[in-house]
Amino acid sequence: MSRSSYLQADTIALHTGYQPESDHGSRAVPIYQTTSYVFEDVDEASSLFNVEQGGHIYSRITNPTVAVLEQRIAALEGGSGAICTASGMSALFTTFITLCSAGDHIVSSAQIYGSTATLLRHTLKRLGIQCSFVAINDQAALKAAIQDNTKLVFCESIGNPSLEVADLEAICATAHDQGVPVVIDATFATPSLNRPIEHGVNVVVHSATKWMGGHGVAVGGVIVDGGNFDWQASGRFPELTEPYEPFHGIRFWEEFGPSALAMRIRAESMRDLGAAMTPHNAFLILQGIETLALRMKQHVANAHQLMHWLNEQEMVSWVNHPDLESNETNAIATRLFPEGAGSILCFGVQGGRAAGAAFINALQLGSNLANVGDSRTLVLHPGSTTHSRLTAEQMQDAGISEDLIRVSVGIEAFKDIKADFAGGLRAAQRVAEAAK
Amino acid sequence: MKLHVNGTEAYAATGGKEFDSSLPTVLFLHGSGMDHRAWALQTRWFAFHGYSVLAPDFPGHSLSKGEPLPSIEAMGAWLIDFLQAADVEQVHVVGHSQGFLAALELAHQSTGVVRSLSGIGTAAAIPVNPALIETAQVSAEKAADLMLQWGFGPQAQYGISAVPGMQPIAIGRQIMSGNPLAEDLMACANYEAGEQVAKTLDIPSCLILAGKDRMTPLKAGKALASVMGAAVTVLPQYGHMLPVEAPKPCLQALREFIGSL
Repeated sequence: MSRSSYLQADTIALHTGYQPESDHGSRAVPIYQTTSYVFEDVDEASSLFNVEQGGHIYSRITNPTVAVLEQRIAALEGGSGAICTASGMSALFTTFITLCSAGDHIVSSAQIYGSTATLLRHTLKRLGIQCSFVAINDQAALKAAIQDNTKLVFCESIGNPSLEVADLEAICATAHDQGVPVVIDATFATPSLNRPIEHGVNVVVHSATKWMGGHGVAVGGVIVDGGNFDWQASGRFPELTEPYEPFHGIRFWEEFGPSALAMRIRAESMRDLGAAMTPHNAFLILQGIETLALRMKQHVANAHQLMHWLNEQEMVSWVNHPDLESNETNAIATRLFPEGAGSILCFGVQGGRAAGAAFINALQLGSNLANVGDSRTLVLHPGSTTHSRLTAEQMQDAGISEDLIRVSVGIEAFKDIKADFAGGLRAAQRVAEAAK
Repeated sequence: MKLHVNGTEAYAATGGKEFDSSLPTVLFLHGSGMDHRAWALQTRWFAFHGYSVLAPDFPGHSLSKGEPLPSIEAMGAWLIDFLQAADVEQVHVVGHSQGFLAALELAHQSTGVVRSLSGIGTAAAIPVNPALIETAQVSAEKAADLMLQWGFGPQAQYGISAVPGMQPIAIGRQIMSGNPLAEDLMACANYEAGEQVAKTLDIPSCLILAGKDRMTPLKAGKALASVMGAAVTVLPQYGHMLPVEAPKPCLQALREFIGSL
């Protein structure tokens, strides 16, 4: 069970948010491929627009298929509600722009996904929103970074690609002491391995493109409102506590309480920003979620086998995974991720960047691409791709070395993954020896 | 809006419009451990369709200050003072579960104030298992879980929501966990006058009852309706948390009943 449902997670993943509809009895969630919805009469239309009743108006704001996915993910995470978006990045932008205005401030972990760092460091700055980057598990540094105009603390539950595990309880205690909510990107974790809201987190964001879908065929994001933050008591959020003119002066906190943020995002950000998920993508991601728990077990098992095998190879200079004792946050990972801290691992090969490139180029089963969380094994050199916009100093702060190879371990038979990586290491060895 | 009742600040939702006591007023009363948000999808419609709305949080609940009231009778007395503070002389009263017991007491203790009575998911008596009260005294969160697992009907248990993307169980859990649930449950358990009070009232009334209500079973609701001569609407596929589970049919029944008076 979660905070939102008394069903078990495996059951939620298959059933929550949808029961066979009465007209045709479709067992699968139907794809409501429609832009809009016929109103019963003018009065009903007016009521829907004025939030006098729930229902669908236009698929940029809500859609029945997307709503099933939202309700399912909200239940898996234990949130009061969820909003699906066009991508993980749009989920982050929507969250930030809902909570922050020009003149506001964010405190973020330094060890985060490259595009998120760019959003926080450059794009939001153009809108007058500043960001300070800190070592997120340094509570003194975090406390010192929070200002009077700070609206949120942000980090990834497992940092990309440094694999730093965030100490959620400690971070929440520090942030909440100062009336600041905590927003987590939990993409690497999925609710199968860790539910951040149970550790005090207030907003959970995912790129649903990744493990939730698992098939690598649909881009999407989701924002889960934990419903556990007192926006009034904080005193920092007039967006949620003061009248909102476009809806007859509605006060979201007074009106909706635990779902205030989700309702504000729906009413304002989905209407104005338009970063909606398509019903077809929602359907595809729903197919993935049905088997999320089963896949995560295999992802983690393969990641564990691969990290141990890599550690034994002479050509491998280092291996990093949160479940390795050598990872600086291993104790936190052990506490927060009893079933294993995900299926991303990083390693370096002897011979530096050229040898690393040879390794990646030699792979047959592993795919060199800019994605993670596919059921297939994926590899990438972040220094040349996802984090290439960072300066050398920012790369260091983000925990990315020149030789770092990121692996999103798939669910293929481990024997075949191992054989493929052995071939890659032989190619790397040839390059390394030729360079001597 | 905020107003002072016997010197203590009380909060009442007004459906998104400025309260105007010159309009016909509908008073919405929440159930055990809940607050005005139970009525989010009924109050706005009335407020924007010619009525004024008051949906108070009982003392000690959510946005209202003060100590929780120890009995249903005390809730009835407090409502009289609350309406005086709001400068309201006559109201249509809508109560969910415990809120309807409080509505009965308001009608019983006042004269000419209650224009009509609408009960949702309720009965003349709401006995409470002592073990649930003991649990609530230790942990409102655990008691809320027991109540919501029991209180929401099968569709809500499968995450079906009248508001796209939302999870009513989590919302209810968050509200109830922070409110004086044990005191409310004791007030319900100790209230034995419901049937007698209901018999004495001569006020237009309607009951909206749920076919899968396991907290105030349909049979008990129908018995109350019989005593009161109330019109009955049965929503067969829903559970006890009707205002949240089935906001649209609840609103429709309320619109028809109150609009007919």
